[in-house]
Amino acid sequence: MSVPSTTDPFSDLVALVVAPGELGVELCRQLAAGLDGLATVELVPDVDAARHWCAASGAVVVPLVAVTDHVGDVDAAVRGLDECAPLGRARVLLLTARGIHTDVAEVVDRERLHSVVPIPWIAGALGGHTRSQVLRWLRDHRGGDDPSDAQTQGQELLEAPGSALLRDLELGPEEVTARLLAAIERALGPRPRLRLPSGVRVTRQGRSVDGVFVVVEGSVALDRDTPVGELRLHHDTTGPVVGILALAQQRRAFFTARTTSDVEVIHLTLEQLDRAIRTEPEMGAALTAVSIRALARRLRRSEQLQVEKVELNRELTEERQRLRDTLEQLEAARFELIEQARFATLGELAAGVAHELNNPVAALTRAASYVTEDLLRLLAAHPQGAVARAALDEARTRPPRSTAQERASRRELEQALGDSGLARRMLAAGVEDPQRATELAGDETRLALVEAAAGIGAAVRNLDVAAGRIGELVASLRAYARPDAEPAPVDVATTLEDALRVAGHRLRGVRVERDYGEVPLVMGHPGQLGQVWTNLLVNAAEALEGDGSIRLTTDSPAPDRVRVRITDDGPGVPVEVQQRLFEPRFTTKHGVVRYGLGLGLAISRHLVEQHGGEISLESDERGTTVTVLLPAAEPSADTGGLPCD
Amino acid sequence: MRLTVLVLEDEPAVREALERDLADLADVIRLEAAEDVPDARTVIAELDRDGDLLALVLADHRLPGTSGVDFLVELLADPATAVTRKVLVTGQADQQDTIRAVNEAGLDHYVAKPWQVDELRTVVRDQLTDYVVARGLDPLPHLRVLDTARVLPLLRKLGDR
Repeated sequence: MSVPSTTDPFSDLVALVVAPGELGVELCRQLAAGLDGLATVELVPDVDAARHWCAASGAVVVPLVAVTDHVGDVDAAVRGLDECAPLGRARVLLLTARGIHTDVAEVVDRERLHSVVPIPWIAGALGGHTRSQVLRWLRDHRGGDDPSDAQTQGQELLEAPGSALLRDLELGPEEVTARLLAAIERALGPRPRLRLPSGVRVTRQGRSVDGVFVVVEGSVALDRDTPVGELRLHHDTTGPVVGILALAQQRRAFFTARTTSDVEVIHLTLEQLDRAIRTEPEMGAALTAVSIRALARRLRRSEQLQVEKVELNRELTEERQRLRDTLEQLEAARFELIEQARFATLGELAAGVAHELNNPVAALTRAASYVTEDLLRLLAAHPQGAVARAALDEARTRPPRSTAQERASRRELEQALGDSGLARRMLAAGVEDPQRATELAGDETRLALVEAAAGIGAAVRNLDVAAGRIGELVASLRAYARPDAEPAPVDVATTLEDALRVAGHRLRGVRVERDYGEVPLVMGHPGQLGQVWTNLLVNAAEALEGDGSIRLTTDSPAPDRVRVRITDDGPGVPVEVQQRLFEPRFTTKHGVVRYGLGLGLAISRHLVEQHGGEISLESDERGTTVTVLLPAAEPSADTGGLPCD
Repeated sequence: MRLTVLVLEDEPAVREALERDLADLADVIRLEAAEDVPDARTVIAELDRDGDLLALVLADHRLPGTSGVDFLVELLADPATAVTRKVLVTGQADQQDTIRAVNEAGLDHYVAKPWQVDELRTVVRDQLTDYVVARGLDPLPHLRVLDTARVLPLLRKLGDR
């Protein structure tokens, strides 16, 4: 056997035997015989010696290391060998006299155990076995990326495997089929070819099979009836022998095999097949090769399907989760819609009630003034009419005083009169001056007259205030439901003042600071703007919980822009809440529907945007500022801004 | 030593109306008004100084600063005012506020706005009687503002001594 002289790839190969004493010598002899002309053989007694030898030998190339079970723990021994790089690349042959090995987990896992041979070995087989190991090493390491290169380089050395099966497995599909056909015809004589058009069923699912078809040309697909209809399971993977698998399944066809093109087949009964296998030695190997190929392809396909199934399952799970999320969002949206509808109904109801309230309020207001007028007429005829009239007028126009002030006045009167009941009567009658009180105390008739007149005056005043309050509430309620018809130039300061009046009862205990700048008018609906301010004021007051201050600022950051800022010094809005504040139906009051609240900010934003403006909110622990930016009205529309008094 | 009725109400018109509706009692009892809780505390301090008793509080709930219910809770916690009869006169307390007033402030009565004068006077009379009975006070000086039928036994008992 000659070695190619040009590249001379094998001249420096050394196989290493790691074995003690006589065994080592014998092994060396066997390997040298097997590797004649391919590699030389070196012998060392143990792993340490092997390492030393390797380190001393420099650029030696070692394709194979043969170790015996005398090295003790095989995992540890191979680990030791691998420390020297040339040995780390060698194939490892383990010769062992042990019946079982529990010390090879690591080497198997690292792909560092290539062959196991029992001691004693079969005489003569060891040399050939060693040779094929070295040839495999050559193919892996010298063949490079191009296997054909290795083939040409060591053509004679890299012999094809000795078995017909292994040889056939390495052939292409057409060659295998050709070899099978040749074997069949050698055994049975020439076989007639059957030509079939597309769509012919050569086996049927569930039917018994007593022969096989060898596909010479064309393609056959495998279909199977399933609960979800007929599925085409194999097309590319159909082997050249149809029906052979059924032989392993009590002769029932698992598939329906259907031609999908013009095909040429030969038919063999089981008896014919059997005879061919018996009489033709190559037949068995060819048939096995064909079957293994087909099975391997199908198995690979089925493993691929398994992977696809897992992936599909994962996608399905994700899809289901997305679906669940969407459903939840939908549910929330539906709830929101119902709430909004309810709110709209409440708004209409409120507007309706407000409208109905107008009549009684009007009657109330008028009645108060009629009482005053008629009483004044009565008093005109009374001998002490002037006194009564003065008491009445004073009570009607008396500014409200604090309870502390009233107590102080009462105490003063008590001291002057020495009678707490009388002091209270004097105060109720509007008499605060101790001297006048003393005079009146002596004239019971006059005191009774003054008391009555003052009582009527105070009642009329309270009637007016109450009717005014109801009127304001009615107006603000109507503004929620009925937008003003046409936009008109509006002074924002006036609308702010209106809002302060409407929201007055919610602002108790809150200081209000005003800083109104000279700003242009804006085009808009006073009612809607008032509603915006009312919402913002009420929100600010809620944040303050009756203690703190609200600052109203108007200015004009650009000639065509009016800016309104409403600032409170409350605890601020948490960042996570800020992001959702302008969403409809969001309320920090746990979903409690409140008129003008909850939806307040969403409505405000909607109204501001209808005015072509913007609304934004800044908040930290020192307080919250809501800024509304509105476009100014066209300068020609009216005169400049009216300062608010 | 006078019995005192304290009206806690921030709206002048409403406060005035309550005072006027109770003015008839003012020659027997001490009638005081406060517009917020700090002022109410001032009144209580003045009562202590004068040696008068806080027998009844008629409180609105919605007030600037401290709420009426909070004030009533405060009164219950103070031994000096724990026996004071406590009444809410309000149109603005929701269910939760009211539950709290009953459970935590020992609320004795609830008067909804707008009130009826007769009802208001009856409530004040009953509550003052309860106060006198509970404290075992001599009803005689206050007889005109009390429920005579209920204090008669008390009178007899005192007379027996």
